[in-house]
Amino acid sequence: MFSYYFKLGVRSLRRNPALTALMVLTLAIGVAASVSTLTILHMMSGDPIPQKSERLFVPIFDVAPVDNYNPAEKLRENQVTYPDVMNLLKSGQGVRRTGLYGISAPIEPPRKDLPAFSAQGVAPTRDFFAMFEVPFVRGQAWSAQDDERGADVIVLSRAIAEKLFGEANPVGQRINVMGFPFTIVGVTDKWEPKPRYYKLVGGEQFGDGEEFFIPLGSAIRHETTHNGGMNCSERSDPGFEGKLRSNCTWLQFWFETESAGDRAQLQSYIDSYAAEQRKLGRMKRAAPNRLFNVTEWMQEREVVDKDTRLSAWLAFGFLLLCLVNTIGLLLAKFSVRAAEVGIRRALGASRREIFRQFLIESAVVGLAGGVLGLVLAFGALALIGMQSSEVASLAHMDLTMLAFTFALSVLAAVLAGLLPTWRACQVTPAIQLKSQ
Amino acid sequence: MEIRPILSALLRNKTGAILVALQVALSLAILANALHIVSERRHVSSRPTGVADEHAVFSIDVRNLMSGGPEQMLATQKREAEVIRAVPGVVAVANVNQIPLSQSGWNNSVAVDRKQVDETAPSSFYFSPDSLVKTWGLKLVEGRDFLPGEYVDVNTNTNDLPHHVIVTKALAEKMWPGVPATGKNMYFGTGEDAIEVRVVGVVERLQTQNAEVTPRGEYASIAPMRRYGDFAGAKYTVRAEPGQRERVIREVEAALRKASPTPIILESTTLDQHRKERYRADMALSWMLVTVSVLLLLITASGIVGMASLWVTQRRKQIGVRRALGARKMDILRYFITENFMITSAGVAGGVLLGVALNQLLVTKLEMARLPLEYLVSGGVIFWLLGVIAVYGPAWRAASISPALATRSA
Repeated sequence: MFSYYFKLGVRSLRRNPALTALMVLTLAIGVAASVSTLTILHMMSGDPIPQKSERLFVPIFDVAPVDNYNPAEKLRENQVTYPDVMNLLKSGQGVRRTGLYGISAPIEPPRKDLPAFSAQGVAPTRDFFAMFEVPFVRGQAWSAQDDERGADVIVLSRAIAEKLFGEANPVGQRINVMGFPFTIVGVTDKWEPKPRYYKLVGGEQFGDGEEFFIPLGSAIRHETTHNGGMNCSERSDPGFEGKLRSNCTWLQFWFETESAGDRAQLQSYIDSYAAEQRKLGRMKRAAPNRLFNVTEWMQEREVVDKDTRLSAWLAFGFLLLCLVNTIGLLLAKFSVRAAEVGIRRALGASRREIFRQFLIESAVVGLAGGVLGLVLAFGALALIGMQSSEVASLAHMDLTMLAFTFALSVLAAVLAGLLPTWRACQVTPAIQLKSQ
Repeated sequence: MEIRPILSALLRNKTGAILVALQVALSLAILANALHIVSERRHVSSRPTGVADEHAVFSIDVRNLMSGGPEQMLATQKREAEVIRAVPGVVAVANVNQIPLSQSGWNNSVAVDRKQVDETAPSSFYFSPDSLVKTWGLKLVEGRDFLPGEYVDVNTNTNDLPHHVIVTKALAEKMWPGVPATGKNMYFGTGEDAIEVRVVGVVERLQTQNAEVTPRGEYASIAPMRRYGDFAGAKYTVRAEPGQRERVIREVEAALRKASPTPIILESTTLDQHRKERYRADMALSWMLVTVSVLLLLITASGIVGMASLWVTQRRKQIGVRRALGARKMDILRYFITENFMITSAGVAGGVLLGVALNQLLVTKLEMARLPLEYLVSGGVIFWLLGVIAVYGPAWRAASISPALATRSA
């Protein structure tokens, strides 16, 4: 009976074409609005590294002077100091550790026909690549010795490598970066996590991937200025040396543990580390030392902004309105079919059968609305993506959202069909037959 | 007007009426909140920076690919400023650390007294070895611009500091409410290390690099200094002759490239671009909300038309009888319009409550602003009008039913 009712439903789309078109359009617009806003929300809040997000941790210490301590205030720092990065790198905690900061460096192409350009990258330690699962097309990460010596080696993104060397293998070649010759050791494949969870402070959270990577030690040795925020709670000595010694926070740190359960152990380590530092005259506020895993860190950094949530809420309010409208239209459509229901009932169809028939008919309307809604949602996402490349990278529908669009549309139509269907079932066959 | 019979007819057949009222209520609640947010965002994104004639101003980032010492960097900065100044059509140029609305730059907390525990206010920290008051056309409301002797060149490897400052009116009011700020001492930071500077002037307005929506958006201070020695590059802000900006940008870039012995990387951005970039999200949200609002009205109107048409079809016979018994076309028309007005009114009443509730939710969950009542009132008027217009067509068709035809069949 299901397929028969389904066919009837498809046929009935052609009856009352104006009314049906209005219904399908209403549903489609409502679904498109909610799906396109939800897609952005879904892409923003998605877990960028699901297999590891419970095992990667950001430590945050409160390093401000004690004289203006207020226990009720919210997190004061969002990065760590250089001395802490150095100590934590040596700590041996977890299976991998990395400290990093964003840099912007001029690159002079070896080809003379290309002008020098400025590239955005990060200066991490070797573990970065394995920790965040950065894929390589050529070469590999630099060695632990390179980290130690602060060697002038560089890993390029695929896009930059192709820009500079075309199809040739650039590994082993040298290029001038910040005025110094760097040896290329590797080329990464396209790697653009959304959001850029490994560096949520400074720069765009949804930007393109990094253009290059150099060892943290090398960036420090060349006194490379950081590209991002810095928080200083007290005055520091002048110059780059002063910045390295200071209590200013301007780097980001990550631990990777063996399992999510190792968190307590890591917490107790950073607590004892802070206590040790306190003896040396730092971190005197004794504020709680915090650990954040990837999801917690994204929440703390407010990766999903309020406007995006507002849009999604309003879009769902709008879908609700479309739903109410569809109820009215279905009511109108079904009410003119009282005679048909009367005949079917007189010929022996039970109320349950009528109920099924009309509900399936509503679902067919929902499917039609889903198809049109999908088209409209693609259009809406293309429009939304036009505002900037950052947003454009988010305005993509994945399979989950595609399936969700149909589910939402059919669910909405079935919900809207409940009341009209119930009313159709109330038809008394005798009265209908008599008035013929 | 015969309200009683309409009401009792409505009460006998409630479903459709409730649906229409519900639609109006939902639409009104969303529309009022959406339009409020739109007008708020439009207001926020059109706030002035304090820079006179923004269209004529641009900034240019220069990065030199040379590795020289601090003194060489200083010489390069001075030379580059001269090169830019010599380009025809350049009205003024200033070496500067940051640009309003550019979303990146320096912050420095300021205090009235170095002994206080917490700083008085956060402040955006501008500095320039040239007159920003002249280049940006800032309006001095108190005191004066810096004197030539007050500008200092600070090598980042030393502890040199400026001793003077110009603050915005908003910051001055926050620090010394109701008292002239000129001549007062203020501090960057607190404690023994705090840097003491003397206020020499107050400008009417200068937005911060982030142009926050809170009062903080105008808490800014300007120091008469240049920093050099840690970075082979500089940022300059240029005011071009009106209407010549594009040509001046091209010629400034060409002149800088020509004058530099080593390769340089240049990036020019107009203040208009910074503004567009800063408010991009606000504009996108406004457009989205405007689109939703228009669709909302269309859908609600279509709902009213659909329902009214259904009722007209259902009541053909009754209408025929009424007409046969002497009712004029006008009476039928009035019946439907009154009926619709009553339904819409119920919807508007519900919409006002729902709108306030929705706003309450937005205020608590998303920290949006409270909804002024005007939006609900004008939204209500819109839906009353919309209702009358939407129902007019079906009502007119009802009124045109010929009594003879309608009563003839069975």
